[in-house]
Amino acid sequence: MSTPSDSKPSQASGETSPTLPLMTPRLRAAVAAPTQAAEAERAATATTVGMPDPSHSPAMPAPDVANAARVNALSTMEHVVELADSVVHIADQLHERILEEIACYQDRTMPDSQKAVIHTLMDDELLLRQRAQALYAEATTYVIHGLDQPQRHLMALTAAAAEQIRHIGVIAETTGLVGEILSLVGGIATGRLSQVEAALESIKLHHTALTALKSAPQTKT
Amino acid sequence: MLRVGVLLGLVLAGCASPGQVSLVEVREFADTSAKLGGYAELSRRYRDTYQRELPYLSPQAERVARDTDARRQAVFADFVAIQKTLVLYMQTLSLLAGDARYDLSGRVDELGHGIGAMTDSGLTQRHVAAYAGMTRLLTRVITSHYQNQHVDTMVRDGDADVQALIEAMIVLTRIYEKANENEQKTVLGSFNAEIPMANRNADRMLVMLAKVHLQNKTAEYKLIDRRYKLAQQGLTKVALGHQKMRENMDHLSSAETRSMLAGYVRDLHLIRNALSDD
Repeated sequence: MSTPSDSKPSQASGETSPTLPLMTPRLRAAVAAPTQAAEAERAATATTVGMPDPSHSPAMPAPDVANAARVNALSTMEHVVELADSVVHIADQLHERILEEIACYQDRTMPDSQKAVIHTLMDDELLLRQRAQALYAEATTYVIHGLDQPQRHLMALTAAAAEQIRHIGVIAETTGLVGEILSLVGGIATGRLSQVEAALESIKLHHTALTALKSAPQTKT
Repeated sequence: MLRVGVLLGLVLAGCASPGQVSLVEVREFADTSAKLGGYAELSRRYRDTYQRELPYLSPQAERVARDTDARRQAVFADFVAIQKTLVLYMQTLSLLAGDARYDLSGRVDELGHGIGAMTDSGLTQRHVAAYAGMTRLLTRVITSHYQNQHVDTMVRDGDADVQALIEAMIVLTRIYEKANENEQKTVLGSFNAEIPMANRNADRMLVMLAKVHLQNKTAEYKLIDRRYKLAQQGLTKVALGHQKMRENMDHLSSAETRSMLAGYVRDLHLIRNALSDD
């Protein structure tokens, strides 16, 4: 089982040794993330609360605009996910550090004061992980953003198709047409010309009906 | 008379063309795509993250988690709507490509009886049988033409949107996976730190219980991990299959296209089975 976290220990061990980060994770997170976080926050309020982008006029929901908005939202989403990943990474490093610290006390009982410090660090780790969870949740809202258009279009297509399925009558008409042709052939074969005329007339009718119905799906979509 | 000849010629030409369009593979592909599991279940699991994390959270972390929970609950309906749209689309495509709805053999037989009644016109029973057979063939050609046309329209017009929705579902499943991994570290991580710290004699029972719990939780997460990958693989197959179907719409009945679609169906079955095995 190889997860992305497998690659971390080497990084973590190389990086954490100089500082015993006591109360620093919060600070570190704050230092590592602030600009990105602020950026994401700004983007978030701009797009999730204010609905589509400023350029989006309600009168003309052109598909291209919707598509562009969706692509845009997806790239913002990627940034938010990246940010969340880096917060998770910091939490992972902190966790490694905590375990290392605990390992130092292998046979000895850890003094309560040290336990308190460890617990504070663990709380910090938990908080960092929850911040990451919040960012992941944020990212999902971007994924949904701009999907209205494709969803509505697919539903319309589906409804049109359902309508066509209901139009089995059309196919039955076709059978009718074939029948007319056959009786026409029969009429010719037996020389009954009066029958031929009647059949011709109804073939024309069928044919018109069929052409009209045939073009229906195209106008619908 | 000339017009009749032309019309007749057209119909007979249609009859003579060898390529009977086969929509069997399209139908099977749409069916298996509609039934692909994973996404809905993982969406629900994601929605319920807070409940699972709650026992392990500090008060401060819990406050953040509660806000996140509200956000997850708020968008859950949208996650489900994406999938519902796609499933409905696939089900309809399957119906459209289906045989059952267009089975007109009953009607053709009626027609045969109708012609049979005209025996006074000099038609022999042999003729009637021949006509009925011919009618059946013509009906098949014409209906398959209709089916093909509608399936064609649906697949061509729907592809871009199908791709967009599936892309969203794949991306969401990836985010669920990341959130789940983070949740796993929250849950298992606290045990990994607390168990070695609890080494007083009085803690022995507690440590034992904690180890049992940790074992169960580890197994649970290991099982669920697999499902994210499977769900993503399945969705990718559906997206690819639909795209290939659109690209090959003009030669759906070619052996190549048919075996390609059958391949996607087979893969989707395998993924579906793997998802229901756990």
